[in-house]
Amino acid sequence: MQYEAIVGLEIHVELNCLTKMFCDCPNRPGDEPNRNTCPVCLWLPGALPRFSREALEKAALACLALNCEIQKRSAFDQKVYYYPDLPKGYQLSQAHHPLARGGWLDIADEKGAPKRLRIRHIHMEEDVAKLIHELEGRTPVSLVDFNRAGAPLIEIVTEPDVRSPHEAMEFIRNLRTQIRYVGSSECSMETGTMRVDANISIREQGSSAMNTKVEVKNMNSIRHLGDAIAYEIERQKASLASGEAIVLHTRLWDPEKGVTLPMRGKFEGPCVPDPSVPEIVVTGEWIARMRALLPEMPALKAARFQRDYDLPRELASSLAGDRELSDYFEAVSRESVPPRTAAHWILTQYLPALKERQLSIAASPVTPGRFADVLRRLEADEINAASAREVLARLFDTDESPDAVIERGGFRQVSDAASLESLVEQVLGAHPTAMGDYRSGQAKALGFLIGQVMQASSGKANPKRVREILLSKLA
Amino acid sequence: MDSGIFVYREEAAASGTGLLKGRTVSVQAGLSVAGWPAEAGSLALRGFKAIEDATVARRLREQGAVLVGSTRMSELGLGLRDDGAARAVTAGLADIAMMTDLVGEARLAAADAGIIGYRPSYGLVSRYGLFGLIPSMEAIGVLSRSAADIAAVMAAVAGRDEKDFSMPEEPVPGFLDGAGQPRIRTLGWIRESVAFLERQERQAFLLALEGLAKAGLTLVETSLEEFELFRAVHQVIGSVEASSAAGKYDGVRFGYRSPAAKNWNEMYLKTRGEIFGPLVKPYLFQGAYYQFMKYGAFEKACRLRSHLIRELQRLFGQADALALPALRAGFDPREAGSVSALYDAFLFTLPASVAGLPAVCFPWDDGDPAGCRAIQLVGPRLGDAGLLALAGQAVTNKTKES
Ligand SMILES: [Zn+2]
Repeated sequence: MQYEAIVGLEIHVELNCLTKMFCDCPNRPGDEPNRNTCPVCLWLPGALPRFSREALEKAALACLALNCEIQKRSAFDQKVYYYPDLPKGYQLSQAHHPLARGGWLDIADEKGAPKRLRIRHIHMEEDVAKLIHELEGRTPVSLVDFNRAGAPLIEIVTEPDVRSPHEAMEFIRNLRTQIRYVGSSECSMETGTMRVDANISIREQGSSAMNTKVEVKNMNSIRHLGDAIAYEIERQKASLASGEAIVLHTRLWDPEKGVTLPMRGKFEGPCVPDPSVPEIVVTGEWIARMRALLPEMPALKAARFQRDYDLPRELASSLAGDRELSDYFEAVSRESVPPRTAAHWILTQYLPALKERQLSIAASPVTPGRFADVLRRLEADEINAASAREVLARLFDTDESPDAVIERGGFRQVSDAASLESLVEQVLGAHPTAMGDYRSGQAKALGFLIGQVMQASSGKANPKRVREILLSKLA
Repeated sequence: MDSGIFVYREEAAASGTGLLKGRTVSVQAGLSVAGWPAEAGSLALRGFKAIEDATVARRLREQGAVLVGSTRMSELGLGLRDDGAARAVTAGLADIAMMTDLVGEARLAAADAGIIGYRPSYGLVSRYGLFGLIPSMEAIGVLSRSAADIAAVMAAVAGRDEKDFSMPEEPVPGFLDGAGQPRIRTLGWIRESVAFLERQERQAFLLALEGLAKAGLTLVETSLEEFELFRAVHQVIGSVEASSAAGKYDGVRFGYRSPAAKNWNEMYLKTRGEIFGPLVKPYLFQGAYYQFMKYGAFEKACRLRSHLIRELQRLFGQADALALPALRAGFDPREAGSVSALYDAFLFTLPASVAGLPAVCFPWDDGDPAGCRAIQLVGPRLGDAGLLALAGQAVTNKTKES
C-alpha cells in the first residue's frame, strides 16, 4: 500500500522583548536563577497581570511577517493544569480568540516546485518556569527557576499541509528567516528560542481521510525535526503493516538513538476565559501602523537584488535571507564595488571569517567601508585574490586602514614588466621539462608554471601579467 | 485587644492629613499592607506577610486614614463564618472596615450588625493587593455607621490604577459633591425577588419600602422573570473562577507545605489536598467540575450572565435604583457552612455581584421586632454616589424619628 504523510506543525517562538509578558521583569531567562522575578510573575497573592505593549507589537510584527491577519479582538484564556512549573495553576494563553489567523509561507518542495503552506492561527502565551531535579548529597531535590515564568511567546499553528520531512524543514527555515527579519525573535531551535512540535499521521495515497495523529516533541535542530518526522512516518507504516492501530499520544525524539519514544500522557486541562487580562482590542489604524514598520521582506528584496544588482537568483536570495547581511551587501556595493564581486566575496570569504571568529556583523571590525577598500584594490589589480583574502583576515585583528595593511604586508601586486620577466626567466630555467610538456601540447603545464612564478614572488605577482609573459616566452 | 476581631493590630499607627484625617480603618487579612501578616484566613497562606501595599491601602493612608489592623476573615473571604470586620466597627475599634464582597459578604455583615455596608461598581476600585478569589465578581466593600465616611473613603480610593489593567477608563463618580449623580427619585422592586420571601417577611419588606419612599420617592413594581438564575450563574462562574484563582496555593513558594510527601509531585498533591477548609474545598471542587467535566454549563452561565446584565439595565429604564431584600429569615449568613447554605443566605446580594453593580445595605427599624432589619439598594453602573447619598439620608431620617 502507498501511504502519504499528513503533518501539522506547532511552533513556539520566544519573543525577544525587554520585559516579560505581564510584568516589568527583565526577559532574561538565562540569568542567575530567580533573579528576574516579582510578585506578578511569582504570582503571589494580590498581584495582577499587566499585559505588555511591547509583547503585543513584537507578536503582531511576527504575525504580519507570516502573512497572517491580525484580529481586531483577541483575548487571554487560562490553560488549567497543576504543576510546580506553573506558579498559578494555569497558563495565560489565547485559546479561544487568537491574535491572528490565516497566514501562509511559500517553500520549494523536493522537486524545487513552489508550494504554499497555510498557517491556521498564531496566538500569544506566557512561558512557564524551569524545573531542575538534582541530588543534594543522596537526597533528590526539585528546584524551580522562575526567571522564565511569564516570558513572552507566540505559538504558530499550521494547517496539516506538510507532506514530507523536507517540507517541514523548509517551512521552519523560511519561518525563521521571516521572523528574524522583523526582529521579533532569534528563532533558534538549538538555544530554545524556537520549539517545534509535529503532529503526524499517515493515510493511503489519494485518500482524504484524517487519521489519528501522533505528536512528536523535543527536536532541537531543524535537521532533527526532519529526522524525527521521517522516523515517525516509517514507524507508523510499520505499525499499520503489522496490524496495530495508531493511538493518539505524544512521543519524544531521542537524538542519541534517532528514534521517537512514547512519553507519559500529560493531563490536558480546560481553557477558561481569563477575567483579569482585559480583551485586547486593536484598530485598523494600529494594524496599518504595524504594517508600516515591516522592513522590505526577503522575497521582495531578493527580487530587487536580482533586478537592480543583476545578481543570479541563488546569490540574491542568500544575501536577502538575512537582514543584516543584505544591509552589509548594499553598503559595500554603494562604495563603488561591482555588486557581483561584493556578493561573491561576502558569501565566500566574509561570512565564513565571521563564523570562524564567532562574530556578528554588528560586532565585526570589518566595516562595509573597510571591506570595500579591499575589494576596490582587487578590482584595480593592485592586489591579487590571494592577497585580498590575507588582507581581509588581518583586518579582523587591526584598526589599521586596508591600505596600511597592504603596504606594511607588502601585498601590492608586482605588475612591472621587468621584475616579472626576470621571475619568469628564473622559473623557466629551473623547469625545462614543464616547458617541454607545454610545447608538446600539455596545457596543464602552463598552470604549473604560473604557480611556480607566483610562489617565487611570494604570491605577490599579478597572475594575469605572469600568464601573458609566460605565453609570449613559450610561443 | 479582642482576638476574635483582629488577627493583627498596628499599635503605632498615626494619622496623616487629608479627606480621612483621624479616621480609623481596619482591613481584612486578605488585603495587602506591607509587612503585615496576611493569611487571608487560610492555611494556604500560613506565615505569609504582605510584600507591598495594596493600592487601596496606600490611597487610604495618603488621605490621612489610620490603618489600625487587619480583621479575622473566613477562608479566602468566602462567607461570614469567621468574620471580624463588622464587629470592628460595632465594637468601636474602627470607624470604617474594608472587606471583600464576593457573594455579598460586606453587605450582609453590615445588615446583620446594623451598620451600612457598601459594594462599589466593578472596576471602580483597584484590586491590586487584594487576595482575590472570584476575579470578575469581587470588589473591596466598605462598612461604617456613616454613609459620609464611606463616601470619603471612596473619594480617596476610587479611580484608575496602572497596576490593575482590568479597570475600564471611566469617570469617577463625584463622591463628595455628587457631581454627575442624579438624585434617585424612583425606586423599583422586583416581583420575582420578593417571591422568595415568606409572606410575613414579604409584607415587612414592602412596608419598609413604603417607609423609605416617604422621603419623596416613587415606588415602581418591576419584573425580572429569570431572577432565580442569578444564583446558578454566580455559583457556576464564581466556583470556576475560584478554582483557577486558588491554583496559586500549592506550597511551592509560600504557605503551608505538607510534611508527609516523599517527592515533589506528592508534595504538590498532598499540600493542595490539605490546605483548603470545609467551605472553600467543595467550592473549588465544584469549579473544577465545571471546568473539566461540564464546560458547556460554564459557557451557558456566561451567556446567561450577559442576559441578566441586560435585563437589569432594562429595569433601570423603569427605576433609578432597585430595592432588594438583604437578610432572609431562617438563613443566617454567619452560620452558612456549606456551599448551598451560603447561596441560600446570600440569595439577594448575588445580582449586584453578577452584574458588577454598586449596592448598599443599610439598617431599617420599624419598631416591630419581626420587621425588616435592612434594605439593600442596587444602582446602575457608576451610580455609586447617588446610592450612598440615599442610604445616608434614610439612616439620618430614621435616627431623627426615633
Ligand atoms: Zn515579574
